[in-house]
Amino acid sequence: MNRILAVAQNTFKEAIRNKVLYALLFFAVALIAASLAVAKLSLGNELRVITDLGLAAVSLFSVVIAVFIGVNLVYKELERKTIYQLLSKPLRRHEFIAGRYLGTVATMALLMAFMILFFVGMILLQNGTVRAALCKALWLSFVEVSVISAVALFFSSFSSPFLSGLFTLLAFATGRLTPQIHQLLDQFEQGIGVSLVRVFVATLPDCHLFTVSGAVVGNQWMSIHGQFVTWRYVAQATAYGLLYSLVVLVLAALIFRRRDLV
Amino acid sequence: MTIPTGQAHEAAVVAVRNLSKTFVTGFLPYRRIASVLSRFLPSSPLFKRVEAVRGIDLTVAPSEVFGLLGPNGAGKTTTIKMMMGLLFPDEGSISLFGGSVTDPKVMARVGFLPENPSFYDYLTAPEFLDLTARLLGIPRNKRAERIADMLELVKLTHATDRPLRKFSKGMLQRAGLAQALIGDPDLVVLDEPLSGLDPIGRKEVRDIVADLAKQGKTVLFSSHILSDVELLCTRVAIVVNGRIQKIGSLDDLLGQDVEAIEVILDQVPPELETALAQRGDARKQGAKWIVQLPGDDDPAAVLQAAIDVHARILSVQPRRKSLEELFMSQTANGSSAGGPASEDTGASMDHQS
Ligand SMILES: Nc1ncnc2c1ncn2[C@@H]1O[C@H](COP(=O)(O)OP(=O)(O)OP(=O)(O)O)[C@@H](O)[C@H]1O
Ligand SMILES: [Mg+2]
Repeated sequence: MNRILAVAQNTFKEAIRNKVLYALLFFAVALIAASLAVAKLSLGNELRVITDLGLAAVSLFSVVIAVFIGVNLVYKELERKTIYQLLSKPLRRHEFIAGRYLGTVATMALLMAFMILFFVGMILLQNGTVRAALCKALWLSFVEVSVISAVALFFSSFSSPFLSGLFTLLAFATGRLTPQIHQLLDQFEQGIGVSLVRVFVATLPDCHLFTVSGAVVGNQWMSIHGQFVTWRYVAQATAYGLLYSLVVLVLAALIFRRRDLV
Repeated sequence: MTIPTGQAHEAAVVAVRNLSKTFVTGFLPYRRIASVLSRFLPSSPLFKRVEAVRGIDLTVAPSEVFGLLGPNGAGKTTTIKMMMGLLFPDEGSISLFGGSVTDPKVMARVGFLPENPSFYDYLTAPEFLDLTARLLGIPRNKRAERIADMLELVKLTHATDRPLRKFSKGMLQRAGLAQALIGDPDLVVLDEPLSGLDPIGRKEVRDIVADLAKQGKTVLFSSHILSDVELLCTRVAIVVNGRIQKIGSLDDLLGQDVEAIEVILDQVPPELETALAQRGDARKQGAKWIVQLPGDDDPAAVLQAAIDVHARILSVQPRRKSLEELFMSQTANGSSAGGPASEDTGASMDHQS
């Protein structure tokens, strides 16, 4: 555990000492700020627009940053050969994977906290209040980011950052569109092919579960401005996210276990 | 009385048996897939196989300083990486302290300096050593002291404020040595520890290695710099082409026989000069005369002649076969280029028009 923590802390340091990260963070904050300008155009609905745009910006930028960090997690260590000194120590390979992941999640938590602080500040400036629905939505967004980090790390354990990034973003996009994909599939003749596609979609992270504002859940229209998901739903989605991440990480560790570090 | 089962193995710190590794490179993006496929399709133009290590056996006893010597591309680094659990052998086995390289308990007793080390460049040297110390399980209260000791040992105390990104090559090498030694390992494995260092640095590192040997540590290092190996090692293996060409103590390899005796004279008066000039085995170099006698010859006559005319005798030195010469002859036996013959299976590039 100590060793995992050491790797995690180092991963955290690596991320926060990376200048590219600050550029991304700057864009994220700029976009959230820009939502204010857009909101002004909406005549009267400012708070609503700020909340919607801000939430989307926090969520999307966090995913992008998570992918950016995640795809490099293993590759960079191999590329720079830093992994030699790490794995020649009494550190098991799965501990390495676990440490890299936990460090990334910690980094993302910090970054998201920073973005959310800015976001909430804007809401308060517009005399809005932070409602429970918003907290739920932000938490779900964090769970989604944790899942995406795990997926990125998984791909990173055997492919280049470019391919990993591509795969991860595809998985993310497909995941968000899960209901639409199923709707589309319903229109086809049901056969083995369609079933296979459904199975494939089921193996991808169901990111749709984490972005419920503006969607129908259990025959009810969910919106952070009105009726929103229950804490029970949040807990279930979190459990799904945890389980999914765990499975993906175990797979990553299994792949990485026998990999030649050349 | 029962003898613990580990006893027999513990006699050898490193035991490598029939170690082989073939790299498969090619168009396929995933090495592992390529490697598996190449076994079934040995003669496909998609793969290029490089037999980096082909059946290496070696044993390193406790407190030995063992040198792995060989030309570029001989397979030294590949062998060492397998010994550190970074690469998996295709064939053969490795045991360290009688245990497996994947066992954290075993690896806690090993310190490793990779070739051309590159470390987390955003960390400072103390931070980097702290990370290493934590991985080794050195308790928090001992870490600071240990780190300070190591920085002192490798002479990096002046550079604790900057990230490793700003380190020179030699400084990185020193940082690497510090992380290899911080856990007070029983086995120290160094892949070309002297490359990238200035003459003073080389001497310092040599002294550190000599000191480790004095403390009874086992050291295994690779090099192609013969003089260092000659100075430090108790035993060497000469690796060429992924195979051990020769292994043994330096005396074994170089032989005890004196190949030649070299007598160097200075302030030689003219009468002796004419006499020397007539000898086929003497030559003048600057103001000095060098007489090269066969190994089994007695230099007494030459020395007497020098004494008679009050010439100065600068040195009388037996010359053994140098490691250099041995190295050259072994390399020549291996392959002309020195690198391992890549077994280019099937069609090469120019086949696909
Ligand atoms: N990742 C790899 N993929 C393909 N071939 C490799 C790989 N690593 C090493 N080789 C090949 O294996 C052979 C042995 O390389 P190795 O690095 O072990 O040599 P070395 O003895 O350490 O040489 P040097 O003295 O230059 O460090 C070389 O021919 C090299 O090209
Ligand atoms: Mg090498």
